[in-house]
Amino acid sequence: MNVMTTCALRKQKLVSQIITFIFIGIVGAPISGVLQKTYAADTEAASAATPLNTLSPLLDDLYTVLSISFVAILFGIACAFYLQEWLPQTNWVRRFIESVVAILGGVPSIFYGILAIGIFFTDAGTLKTVGIVRGPQDIGDGSALGPLSFQYDTPVFYIVVLTFILMVTPMTIKTTQAALRSVATPIREATYALGASHWQVLRRQVIPIALTRILATGCRAMSSALATVALIFGIYIWQYTNGPREMSNRFILFLSGALFLSIFSSVLIKLCASASADPTHPTR
Amino acid sequence: MNYSIEAENLNLWYGDFQALMDVSVKIPDGQITSLIGPSGCGKTTLLRCFNRVNERYGNVTTEGKIEVLGKNIYDADVSLPELRKAVGMVFQRPNPLPISVYENILFGLRIHSPMRSITRTDADEIVEEALKSVFLWTDLKDKLKTRATSLQLEQQQKLCIARLLPLKPKIILMDEPCSALDAKGTRAVEELMDILAGTYTFIIVTHNMAQARRVSKECIFMLLGELIEHRETQALFTDPQHEKTSDYVHMRYG
Repeated sequence: MNVMTTCALRKQKLVSQIITFIFIGIVGAPISGVLQKTYAADTEAASAATPLNTLSPLLDDLYTVLSISFVAILFGIACAFYLQEWLPQTNWVRRFIESVVAILGGVPSIFYGILAIGIFFTDAGTLKTVGIVRGPQDIGDGSALGPLSFQYDTPVFYIVVLTFILMVTPMTIKTTQAALRSVATPIREATYALGASHWQVLRRQVIPIALTRILATGCRAMSSALATVALIFGIYIWQYTNGPREMSNRFILFLSGALFLSIFSSVLIKLCASASADPTHPTR
Repeated sequence: MNYSIEAENLNLWYGDFQALMDVSVKIPDGQITSLIGPSGCGKTTLLRCFNRVNERYGNVTTEGKIEVLGKNIYDADVSLPELRKAVGMVFQRPNPLPISVYENILFGLRIHSPMRSITRTDADEIVEEALKSVFLWTDLKDKLKTRATSLQLEQQQKLCIARLLPLKPKIILMDEPCSALDAKGTRAVEELMDILAGTYTFIIVTHNMAQARRVSKECIFMLLGELIEHRETQALFTDPQHEKTSDYVHMRYG
């Protein structure tokens, strides 16, 4: 490979990864949210009386899912930096968190889905009513007709947030730590030996080198959060609705949105990675 | 004679393991001093004490005193960045940073000066001067924007030396700088050290006794954490005072 181009390629890769991250996290979410809202009116009109309708508050739209996982990912990245770069390896807090993360990160995401279903739904298939308020058409006997609306400062909201954090954060911590570890020791040593402070080493060498991998981690974690939500949705419909007719619009829309975003992000990540493969300097 | 480094009764432990025992040494100014000895005898540990990079590994206890340029570096008021600026280090494997050649050379300066205080013309001059003093300018003047990790190993190692020069260090520590290089690269680095020796004090750790004989004026022999002998290189090799030194330099050791 022409050596002159390697620096430029590295920059290109970084730029496209940042774009992906932002696209999925910020741009993609409202788009899918808007798409879904256009259909939501349809759905609500068509199946106002089905239990499916009660799901809408929880999975208000992709936007909620994405913004929560976005926050959870940032939280995870911050945790990983603190564990990897500030706490010594022998610190018991670090050892404890790392073992917990190893266990949680190894759990397939479907179990989080099942956990969420267990927490959110009653046996009858309706949402537990904590934090859910019924609309004006509510007749009060539980055979809801009116649309439900989601309250953002209620316990259910926090449970949703916690489930996502439980699912996304360990995954992010694990992979971010791996990305930080992948920055070769000689690079750190060289930087320290030139008189750099800890923060300068991080800012000038470690973060720029690890950033692409960290961003890729973020994209992957968000996609998997979407996939899990789609899964919960699917299981819910399978169990509590009467047939494929009711399963239609909203679920399919959500699923296709999630699918599109995950495929789009993974393809982009693959493309970026292959474009920047630099034979003269393996990442390790 | 002036000494740039004076260590007194230096003891160092990694956890429970004592790696240096009562080492006292005086390194003369403006010369090349070599450290020889079998693996695990504490040469590298001693070298890394001189700019305190070994403290990063944690679990290190140090006792004693090291005066670098007349200042005890274990005093509480010593600034590590300033110390490492004055005492540069070249590592066993060439470790240029994965950025361009140009930025590699400016890296040290950028760390030690406020943001955007280096103008473009100054930077160009500094890079040219540093590369010229390690004789890389003619090879690299058209490749300044190349990633430094894509250079040949020999060029990388010279670049690692060049990278220290803009910081104007007084002492340059070298931890087996030639072990990753072939004969030609070794020769190039040795010649470079020879030329720079008047301006900088070099301390070089080496496994290659022939190299120690070629390049250094004084030689230190270490064994199992103790300093056995410190004399002029020729004298140490031809007329060792200590039996253990004699065994080692005549390859009867181990």
